[in-house]
Amino acid sequence: MIKIKDLSHQFILGKKDQQTTISVLEKIDLNVNEGEIVTIVGKSGSGKSTLLNLISGFIRPTQGTIWIDEVCVTELSEAKFADFRLDRVGFIFQSFQLIPSMTAYQNIELPLILKGVNEVKRKDIVHSLLEKVGLDDFQDHYPSELSGGQQQRVSIARALVHEPALILADEPTGSLDSDTEMEILEIIKQLNQEMGITFLIITHDEEVARIGHRSIAIKDGRLLEGVQER
Amino acid sequence: MKLKDKLRFIRQNIKKNRARTFMTILATAMGCAFLIVLASVGYGLHQSFVKDTLEDQIVTEIEIYGKEKDGEYLPLTIDDVEELEKIDRVKAVTRKNELRQIPTYTVDDYRGETLAVSVDYPSEIASGLELEKGRLPEKANEVLVGYHFTEYLFFLTEENIYDQETGEVKEEYVYSDEIVGKEIVMTVKKDEEVSETIPLTIVGVMEKPTKDWEVDPSVYISGEVFRQVETFTGTPGGELGIETEQLHTETFASVSVYAENLEAVEDIVEILKEDNYATYSVVSEMEQINVVFTIAKAGLILVGTIALIIASIGIYNTMTMAVTERAPDIGIMKAIGANPKTIKQIFLLESSYIGLMGAFIGTVVSYVTSALVNVGLPLIIETVFEEQLPEGLQFSAIPWSLVAISVVICLIVTILSGMRPAKRATQIDVLKAMRREV
Repeated sequence: MIKIKDLSHQFILGKKDQQTTISVLEKIDLNVNEGEIVTIVGKSGSGKSTLLNLISGFIRPTQGTIWIDEVCVTELSEAKFADFRLDRVGFIFQSFQLIPSMTAYQNIELPLILKGVNEVKRKDIVHSLLEKVGLDDFQDHYPSELSGGQQQRVSIARALVHEPALILADEPTGSLDSDTEMEILEIIKQLNQEMGITFLIITHDEEVARIGHRSIAIKDGRLLEGVQER
Repeated sequence: MKLKDKLRFIRQNIKKNRARTFMTILATAMGCAFLIVLASVGYGLHQSFVKDTLEDQIVTEIEIYGKEKDGEYLPLTIDDVEELEKIDRVKAVTRKNELRQIPTYTVDDYRGETLAVSVDYPSEIASGLELEKGRLPEKANEVLVGYHFTEYLFFLTEENIYDQETGEVKEEYVYSDEIVGKEIVMTVKKDEEVSETIPLTIVGVMEKPTKDWEVDPSVYISGEVFRQVETFTGTPGGELGIETEQLHTETFASVSVYAENLEAVEDIVEILKEDNYATYSVVSEMEQINVVFTIAKAGLILVGTIALIIASIGIYNTMTMAVTERAPDIGIMKAIGANPKTIKQIFLLESSYIGLMGAFIGTVVSYVTSALVNVGLPLIIETVFEEQLPEGLQFSAIPWSLVAISVVICLIVTILSGMRPAKRATQIDVLKAMRREV
């Protein structure tokens, strides 16, 4: 599903005449198979979020290639990458990233609107997902009227609504209490088992790392040898 | 993303900032109304001029004053008239000659003096000659009289027929009976002592002249009567006090060409100019009027557009603020797969919406203002300057073409002003936006 080869990334900091280059990722090679849950575990500043942002296309790598579903995404233009994300990738963010002026229903509906799905079909899909994440009574609530766990469920439903083959999750339980964290992790496992969706989860939390079929540690921009398989 | 959904997005966004959007729409509406009202003055005065010109003249008539030959304009001969009749889409060529002396006319106990004009009736009929009353002459001694002919017939009496105050003939001495069917005697002179009387019958009265100021008291005689006078006096046109060997007039005092329709006039005028005829037609006058007013209208539209450009600064500001405020939402949308093109379209549609609403409100305001100007301005001018304005003068007119031009200008200006903010929206960095750093 994901094939990363020789991926390196550097950030350039400072003004033009006093620029400093910081190497964040170095020669990363990674394969994620279809239907797998892979967790990347690392401390703050280890480069795990940069890795996810590179796979997501939010930033471009300094070197190396990323293949998702047989498509070399590092060669895609910004617009093509956006279309690719809308077609095949779902996102779960630590801070949920819901649009505050939209209700839970409208937030979940958004990817379908962007894809041009008609209103009747949208209604069916969104309602079934709201039911799946247990929020059918909260569809008209705005994010500010929902708890952290509920917001993350909305975020998960939004990530699923366009039936992606891959979901990229950046600290999906980072803002949640331990009970809610367990609930969310349970949903992720369930989705993987029932729908065969591939998950790549970035986390610093060992608990979260345990739900993965494989857990890979990252330190100082390098993936550490010795993948933990479960 | 479907247009319907984009419009829903825009509605939601506008709802969030109702007051700001309303003020921007209002500024656009004022700019648009200013443009329309300003240009409508040009359109109104143009319409009034055209109406005035067309009302006073026969639009298919081309008057011919002569033909240039060796740098000199010569009167037209019958050969010229025949040549003119052969031109494509010419309906008729009328020609007139005036007697070069003023005959005296007697009807019952009334007498008057006025011009006698010889006309070619077949060509007059073909040109569409219309009578106020009566019929067209069928015999040589049958004549038509001008609309004002009876006003020149006065009662024969020894008494003073003139009003001492006004100097005009008193009303009771002016002929007031029915004139059609009356026997009339035309008296022409050869010299001071010798004269001849020619009995004629009035069979019809010419239509009132189109121009308000024009007076037509003439008697329209046939070519035979005209030649009868020439034979009697022995001079062309019955002119007195000259000695010449030429008996008959071989040229015409006035010749007019009538086109089949208004569209043909321009082509015929071109042909006539190429053949060195000196012409005048209402179309030539209209062309000049149109050129002047088109320049004036373009100038007024340009000045009005400046108002819209000023309003566009407001739109630019509103859209820039909207982009800044919505940057986190745009970041989220981009992250989940919104194409930059879609984001740009949403913002451009929003600025177009402001433009369209502004244009709509501006148009309504313009129609109301235009109506008030047409009613109020003449009253003000008449009161302040104590001057009577021409009847039917329209100060402001808003044709659909002006509305269309204004809406298009308004849309272009608003889209252009929304262009940069929309582009900025597409360039928003996803990560920065999601971290609320934009």
